[in-house]
This record gives sequence, structure tokens and C-alpha cells, in this order.
Amino acid sequence: MPFFNLIKWIVWKDILCEMRNRENIASIFFFALNLIFIFSFSFAMDRNMTEAMMPGLIWVAFGFASILGLGKSFLAETYNDCLAYLQISPAHKGTIYLGKFLGNLLIMVAVELVLIPLFIIFFNLDILNKLPSFSLILIIATIGICAVGTLFSALTVQTRAREVLFPLLLLPLEAPIFIGAVEATRGAFHGDPIALYRHWIELLVVFDLVFIIASYWLFEFILDG
Amino acid sequence: MITLRGYKLTHIYRYHKVLSDVSLELQSGDCFALFGPNGAGKTTLIKILSTLLRPTGGSVEIMGKDSRDHRIEARRDLFLMGHGTFHYDDLTVLENMEFAMALRGLSPPYSMLRNALDRVGIGPFTLQKSRYLSTGMQKRLALAKALLAQPNLLLLDEPYVALDEKGMQMMNDCIREFLDKGASVLMSSHDRAKAAEVSTRAGILQNKGLKEVPLKELANALF
Repeated sequence: MPFFNLIKWIVWKDILCEMRNRENIASIFFFALNLIFIFSFSFAMDRNMTEAMMPGLIWVAFGFASILGLGKSFLAETYNDCLAYLQISPAHKGTIYLGKFLGNLLIMVAVELVLIPLFIIFFNLDILNKLPSFSLILIIATIGICAVGTLFSALTVQTRAREVLFPLLLLPLEAPIFIGAVEATRGAFHGDPIALYRHWIELLVVFDLVFIIASYWLFEFILDG
Repeated sequence: MITLRGYKLTHIYRYHKVLSDVSLELQSGDCFALFGPNGAGKTTLIKILSTLLRPTGGSVEIMGKDSRDHRIEARRDLFLMGHGTFHYDDLTVLENMEFAMALRGLSPPYSMLRNALDRVGIGPFTLQKSRYLSTGMQKRLALAKALLAQPNLLLLDEPYVALDEKGMQMMNDCIREFLDKGASVLMSSHDRAKAAEVSTRAGILQNKGLKEVPLKELANALF
């Protein structure tokens, strides 16, 4: 099927390029690692405070690290004018969006999977039995972050002030994701039954769906200018 | 058959008129060589004809289809070799070919990919990352993509730049092959002699307008 085939090719290309140059993975990973290190020094003395602040710390680290990585997502397409080739290719531009989005999602999840154990070690967290519910929140929130990030990466890539514009546009729009993710993570870490924080997960799912569908249709206009 | 029709194309860039009422029509088998001084708007015209840039005024039809209303169909019929190479530095030559074809909905077998690469003289570099190719070899890779894409309209922006003598000859051989198959070619160039070898028509873009000149007068045309 051409639709899925094209998505597969774009994901393949992005992952292969990333594996070979490690630009995004390295910047996301080391930035987040740096934050974890600083946080662990700041809050290591007070265990109660650490537990209360943990959901916020995790999402601050992932949120800001994602800005670094996602901002470069479409920047790589500008080298050798590859973006122009994407623009004039007969492929549906929404399909290109989905491919880029999935590529970014895989890279972000891979980095998060490495960082979560580091959070557990640095902060001596006892969350092993809470990992299933936390993993669900992590995936749903990361989908939202990548959905918005991929869209705005494309939107700002051809602007002169993209380094300033990208986080400026992205962060306010991602606020619902961070609020939902922090609240749901707090519930999961407290060991609350999922019914108590289900509404936050529902908010994240709705946000994901709205942004993926809207971006799929808007991408035609964004890429074609 | 008319493959390309640009009608009264006008383009204004930041209050500066680059093109004014440029009209151009190519029939199947035409090779139109576009000349003009630096900054005359050759690349802008090619970008408009390739649907990369929306003109301020006028319209473009590719294979009889308006490029604004039937964008995807029009893009399926054309192939652009621009100033950028359109190659991903971290992909190998073969992977770049595969990806470029996948974007056009094509998945040619390895033998076809290898044949196209051999044809342009970069077969031995199939597994080399494109970042390690010289500019001339990158141009050859772009030509290999065009050979596989088999478009009805080939747009070439300065195709001879960075190519050695053998490469230029190969470029012209490939252009002839496209024309024999009924495609049209529009190229911008500064190399009058090389372009004249394959062109059936020529024009000079100057003072925002396009003036067609007979091929035999091309060598002495002033611009």
C-alpha cells in the first residue's frame, strides 16, 4: 500500500540517518542527563520533596530535551535542498508528516528508555511496580510532544529566527501535555488507582488525536508555503 | 503533445519584479535552453515551473493539467535537477536512489538501480555515503535518479556545472534519450556550446521577459 510504504521509507531514512550521525539522540540525551545530574544534586537531601517534585522534574527534562531534538528534525532536510525535493515530490504531504512524526517518536522513546533508569538510580526511586502505568503515560505524552514538535519544526524551518521561534511557539501549545503528563505521573507514582487520574490520560489522548489529525491535513499548506 | 505551458508568469519578490508576463510552451521532444545574465530570473522561472514556487501571477500547466489544481499529478510528470543535490549526506548512493524513488511511489529492483548508476559512471560507489562524493559525482547521482524516474518533463538548472568533459557529454546523451522517449527538457545554462548540442529551441531571459532566439543566432546573441 503506497500510504504505509511511504511512511515506512521516511521512518527508515530518518532512523538510518540518526543512527549514523547521532545528532539528535546525542543532544537530547546529554541535555537530559545534565538536567538529571543537576536535579539530583539539588534535591538529594530531602526525600519527601524529591518524591513530590519527581513528576515535574521528569517532564521538565523530557520537555526541554525534546525541544533540542525536534527543532532539528526538519533542519536536516534543508541540507542539500532536500526539503525542496520533499516539496515537489508527488507524495501526499500529510504522509510525509506522519513519517517524520513516527521517526521523531521512535528517537524520543529510545532516549527516554535510557533516561528513566538513570532517574531511578540518581533519585533512588521505588517505582518498579508503577512502571506499567507510567509507561502508558510516557508513551501517550511523548506522542503529543512529537506531534506538535514535528509540525512546528516544519513550520519554522525556513524562517530566519527559527531557534527563537520554535520554542516560543511550541511551549505554550505543549502546556496541556505537560500539565496532563505531570498530573497523571503524580497519580501513578502515588500508586493511585488509574480511575483517579484517568481524566488526565484522556486529555493527553484527545490532544494527541487532535494534533495528529490537524497536522496531517495542515501539512500540505505548510510544506507548500 | 504540449508537455509544459507557462502563461503570463509574473513574479514579485520583496517589491522587486523578477519576471513579467513570461509565456512558454514546450511540445513533446522539445529541449529548450534558457540563457540570461546572473539575476535574470532563470532559477526563479524553473522553480515556478517545477511547482516549488507560486508565481505572483499567471499559470503553469504540466501535461495539460493546471499545476495549482492538480499539484500531485503535475509533480508526478516532472523531475527537477536544481542547484541543490537533493541527496542525504548520511545515506549511501544506493539508499539515496531508493528513497528518491520511494517518494515518487516507485520501487525499482536493485538491477535497475545499479544499471542507472553504472550508466552515469558511479556504479562502483554504490555503497559509499553521498557526503563523500565530489560535486560532479553528486550531479551524476541526480542524473541517475532522473533516468529512473522517467519524467515527461525534465527541468535542469545549470546541468553542466561541476561536470567534467565526459560528464557533460553523458548529460547530453541522457537528454537526447529523454527527448527520444517523448519527454521535454527545459534547462538553464551559461554554456552556450554544450547546450546548443542538444537544444531544439533557445531563449534569453532578460529585463524580466523571455525572448526566443533562433539557435543559429545564439552564439552571437548579446546579454
